[in-house]
Amino acid sequence: MNPLRVAAVFRRIVAQFRRDPRSLALLFVAPVAIIALLAWVLSSQQSTAARVAVLNESANPAGTAVATQLASALDGQAGIVVDRSVVDDATARQMLKDKKLNLVVILPADFSVQNRKIELLTLGLNPTGEASVIPAVQKALLGAVADSAGAALPTIERATVYGSPDATQLDSLAPVVVGFFAYFFVFILTGISFLRERIGGTLERLLATPVSRAEIVLGYSLGFGFFATLQVAIVMAFVLGRLDIPALGPVPAFAMGLGVRTIGNPLIAYLLVLVLGLGAVSLGIFLSTFARTELQILQFIPIVIVPQGLLGGFFWPIEQLPDLLQPVARILPVTYAIDGLRQVMIAGADLTSGQVLLDLGVLVGIAAFFVVLAAGTIRREVA
Amino acid sequence: MAAAPAPLAPALEAIALHKNFGPIHAVDGIDMALPPGRIYGLLGPNGSGKTTLIRLLAGLASATSGRARVLGVEMPSRPNLARIGYMTQSDGIYPELSVWENLSFFAALYGQTDRAELMHSLELVELDKRTGTPAQNLSGGMRRRLSMACALAHRPTVIFLDEPTVGVDPALRVQFWDHFHRLAAGGATLLVSSHVMDEADRCDELLFIRDGHVLAQGTPAELRKRAGTDSLETAFLRFAGETPTGSATTARESAASGAAAKETNR
Repeated sequence: MNPLRVAAVFRRIVAQFRRDPRSLALLFVAPVAIIALLAWVLSSQQSTAARVAVLNESANPAGTAVATQLASALDGQAGIVVDRSVVDDATARQMLKDKKLNLVVILPADFSVQNRKIELLTLGLNPTGEASVIPAVQKALLGAVADSAGAALPTIERATVYGSPDATQLDSLAPVVVGFFAYFFVFILTGISFLRERIGGTLERLLATPVSRAEIVLGYSLGFGFFATLQVAIVMAFVLGRLDIPALGPVPAFAMGLGVRTIGNPLIAYLLVLVLGLGAVSLGIFLSTFARTELQILQFIPIVIVPQGLLGGFFWPIEQLPDLLQPVARILPVTYAIDGLRQVMIAGADLTSGQVLLDLGVLVGIAAFFVVLAAGTIRREVA
Repeated sequence: MAAAPAPLAPALEAIALHKNFGPIHAVDGIDMALPPGRIYGLLGPNGSGKTTLIRLLAGLASATSGRARVLGVEMPSRPNLARIGYMTQSDGIYPELSVWENLSFFAALYGQTDRAELMHSLELVELDKRTGTPAQNLSGGMRRRLSMACALAHRPTVIFLDEPTVGVDPALRVQFWDHFHRLAAGGATLLVSSHVMDEADRCDELLFIRDGHVLAQGTPAELRKRAGTDSLETAFLRFAGETPTGSATTARESAASGAAAKETNR
């Protein structure tokens, strides 16, 4: 291992990217723009009030009492507007179709104190999106139905172990997005850079010099590690910027606001992302062996990146995956990075946490595995 | 590093060298021992095994059987690569990097960091006024010259040049060959591959190669005499066992079509 040769490879990669403004934009501007867009979508989704109607079809006095209490309980919920003009089923259904209502609570004709069956009616075109109103409605329902005798409604307090009960989807997604972007961009850029070495004849030339395969992989890792560091610093500054983290400095407040709450140490979070990124460098070098064109590198996105996004705990917790997919999720590096980032940024874990150490350890292991694979494929002979 | 070779010990040596790619025998039993300080021309049609032979000697591929030695050291040997320069058939330079960045990168891998020395190798290929130009903005001939500078900046004693003059205009080609002769006069051993016969006369010694075999070896004059012809094309075909008739022009054409046929067969 000759440090001069490693440094030469490192400097060359930095020089190449300095000359390539589009790739720099992909690294630094794209993640910030995408996170800003995500934040915008998520926050405006929450500010839209759900329009709800309560429809009482029962003649039972208990039904009327529940309906009245329910309507006022719902009106008190944040983000819910009760439309009291709806009186019959046909109007309600038409208003759902016209998107003038999001949800109709129906007390059926046979509703009574003994038979407290209640229907929730939504349009059904986007079941997941419509379901986001339901928890608030259920909360109000429970209170209203339980106290239909006329006693005061119990107030429901929310509490969470970590973070804040007011945590938005953004708060839990943002730390994870940082890791995912680093992985994605580092993989794509290394894969293409190395493919160009192979097809441009420069790899042949590199291998004719006394540089060793380990020195090439290390030089590449340092080069892309450098850009991954800058990327993570910029993205984290943007995501956490509105928090009082003096070291990262203030970021201009956007209308959608990215004051993502974190109590963790950004340096540990960065360490997780860096180890994840080093694995991505070697994976990119390894997979470039199996591509002949840049387009074929892009074909690895649905194979390598998308499954990790779906299974890695980005959208759904691993425990909620089907039994057969859980072992798959547990061999994906992104799974451990996402878990580690959540532990650090949301739960405030540090390096004394066994869970964080496990995540880091697995990521180091995966990175080492791909370093060996990558070094093994560099000298692959072409007939 | 190996001990210094004894005087006139071969700089390049192959012993029963074979290289197979599946069913294809790219190098099929080559024996040779080439003394240092001369320019050797490796001549043969496309697909005859020239590049594979160079890759074996340059340590970029390992032999299926047999041995390849450079300066007495068995290849592949990573330390020995510091004494070898290899100009590949493609330019093998980074298009987005400047002339200087390309040169200093490859030179650093060989351990050459002396700026004056690097500047000197750019002067030799007349690119010293272009140090800041990105390689992608250079003309084809300039890129070829940069590629050559990258192969020679560390002052190698053994130099492999794989079709160095392809796509190079005649004036530049003359400059290249003058430079090769200066290097050989300085003690370097050069192995230059080509499929252009009219370059062959500029070499000290020729190796006719086809189907992974050396058909004949000798100075251009010797080979002409043995084949009983004035034309190296005709000589090549005679050694290949073909009996051309008619003028040298027809022979040139049949050499070209013969090469094409060989490629189609593969």
